[in-house]
Amino acid sequence: MKTRLLALSLIIVLLIAAGCSNTNLNNSDNAGEELKEKDWSDITELAEGSKVRIFMWGGDEGINRYMDEWVAPNLKEAHNIELERVPMDTNEILQKLSTEKRANKEEGTIDIIWINGENFKNAKEFELLYGPFSEKLPNYQNYVDTESLDVQYDFGTEVEGLEAPWGKVQFVFQYDEEKIPTPPANFEELKDWIKENPGKFTYPDANDFTGNAFLRHVLYDAVGGPEKLLENGYDEKVLANHADALWSYLREIQPSLWRNGETYPATLTDLDRLYSQGEVWMTMGYNEARAESLIKDGIFPESTKSFVLDSGSIGNTHFLAIPFNSPNKAGAMVAIDFLMSPDAQLAKYESTYWGENMALDPTKLPEDAQEKLANMDRGASVLSPEKLSESLLPEVDAEYVNWLKEHWVNEVVQKQ
Amino acid sequence: MKWFKSNNWSLALLPAFLFTFCLVVYGLFMAAQESVTTLNGFSLDAYKNIFDNEAFLESLTYSLRIAFVSTVLSLVLGLLLTKFLFETLNNHLARTVVWLPMLFPHFVWGYMMILLFSQTGWFSTMLHAMSIIDSPDQFPVLTNDRYGIGIILTYTLKEIPFVVLMLLPVYAQLNRDLPNVVMTLGGNKWHVFKTVEWPWLFPVLMEAGLIVFAFILAAFEVPYLLGTTYPKMVSVLAYEWFYQGDWSKRPESFAVMMTVTAIIFGLLIILLSLVSRSRYRMMKGNGM
Repeated sequence: MKTRLLALSLIIVLLIAAGCSNTNLNNSDNAGEELKEKDWSDITELAEGSKVRIFMWGGDEGINRYMDEWVAPNLKEAHNIELERVPMDTNEILQKLSTEKRANKEEGTIDIIWINGENFKNAKEFELLYGPFSEKLPNYQNYVDTESLDVQYDFGTEVEGLEAPWGKVQFVFQYDEEKIPTPPANFEELKDWIKENPGKFTYPDANDFTGNAFLRHVLYDAVGGPEKLLENGYDEKVLANHADALWSYLREIQPSLWRNGETYPATLTDLDRLYSQGEVWMTMGYNEARAESLIKDGIFPESTKSFVLDSGSIGNTHFLAIPFNSPNKAGAMVAIDFLMSPDAQLAKYESTYWGENMALDPTKLPEDAQEKLANMDRGASVLSPEKLSESLLPEVDAEYVNWLKEHWVNEVVQKQ
Repeated sequence: MKWFKSNNWSLALLPAFLFTFCLVVYGLFMAAQESVTTLNGFSLDAYKNIFDNEAFLESLTYSLRIAFVSTVLSLVLGLLLTKFLFETLNNHLARTVVWLPMLFPHFVWGYMMILLFSQTGWFSTMLHAMSIIDSPDQFPVLTNDRYGIGIILTYTLKEIPFVVLMLLPVYAQLNRDLPNVVMTLGGNKWHVFKTVEWPWLFPVLMEAGLIVFAFILAAFEVPYLLGTTYPKMVSVLAYEWFYQGDWSKRPESFAVMMTVTAIIFGLLIILLSLVSRSRYRMMKGNGM
């Protein structure tokens, strides 16, 4: 009896010990290096019949439907690759990767991540990404304007082939036309409108992606345009000179915000909920066509329209990358190339699913795709391409994002 | 081998012990290590920084207040429920009804609070439809409010069944003759409660209280959903610092969680000394 007990304990202890330790003896690193030398046709062959896991933000129904209903079946048909979408916030994905890196785990579970901005900066600095690979992709070579700054730089960080462009989005405000006949045209008018309609406007917390983008708009306005912020990368001096204008604007509107500015929605999803329930009359988002699918699903009222301020709207490119320890790098490259194909990009452009702008250069597209693009109706809530492109503003260094996160609570929320 | 013969129970505990060690102690150790490691090596700057940081101090008092109020409320209500419904709760159906809230995850419960109690929620819409309030704005702010009412409400409702679960066995094991003794000696119901029930209840109540308190103090999802922008509860604050853009606030984030751990640990020690004293008195038989 006692020996049996002893044996049992021993087995359990051994099992635990095995679980605690990390013994990984494989050579996926070498395989990754070899892959860089291979021809594209060999890579496609390698990817055939494999499974690719894409980890991406899952907070938007339209995006999720695009991935599940359009991309997955078509990718299966074109390359016999099975696509599994795992919803996870990007910063948590990076956390997982950095833990795996520290534990020397050479074979992870993630093949593709959707990444952008400060997350890319962190990932690049901590060497969490595989690459350079984007130059190898045929669709990147053929259809992307590889010279343009928004493909070469991601929030001021040089891309260096570590990520491939996937889409472009622009920041717009959404409002209910029945409640607001003429939306404000600039920040001054927005302020007046907020004061005349107390409680009907708010913006998400500075830690939220969208909330931070709104704050950057106010910052641009306070500085007098993004040029000053772009000149020398992150510049403390510019901030020192103009921060007061930024904070005083925000403090001035605060008492007239939703709940008197005592609290802010933690995420864009919360703001959307407030808008859909009619508690606030405006919402916003980093995608000029995002309202379409929400209107279609009955979440937003039919009378939802969008607008941009005269001072412009920030736009940026977002990317796809492969983690350093992806178990299926060949499959990941083929899947990313597929996601950048004109067909996939056009389906993404359609407002039925996602409705966001293409990462490809429209002038480089084949003729039939160009025709399709010209005939596409993006929906009544989406602004015209001319209006959007004339108001496009560039994104600035990711350090400004952090600076806003750090100071917003102290300067605005606490001071009321 | 003689030691093994007299202590073979300790061998059976070994797996459990190792499991705890592997997961909890190791995790705690790593967190402590991260909180004192900076780019320039060992430093206690993270702790110094957070105790100089107004946002953290307010967040800590805010969390302690919310945890304390919710714990006291759920203990008192749980005790009253068990005491007065003890006979009914012997019935399976009644017990299921009381324990029903335990089946829902906290996050679902929190979201339900928003759907029911927000200014455009179910209650507000109903009151508006019945013309009791003129506009949804007049409905009291119960979610995402400054005082954490929504959070307190959520946790109180969620933890009452747990308290009932802890207290039911105590009532089941109480000596049924003792109340009669008190009555015969001229005591009233209060005396019965004080002399017969309380000494048995006290240690269990304290233990349940500590579990609930520790759980709420370190909770994340409900405060994230129902809390305000400022102050935030400690876990939400730590999460935010942990995931901040350039990862430079990570030591401070770990320091926050170590502080919370220290508080819970301190309470545990106080509680153990209290309970052991009361158990000792119970043994002596004067029952106070």
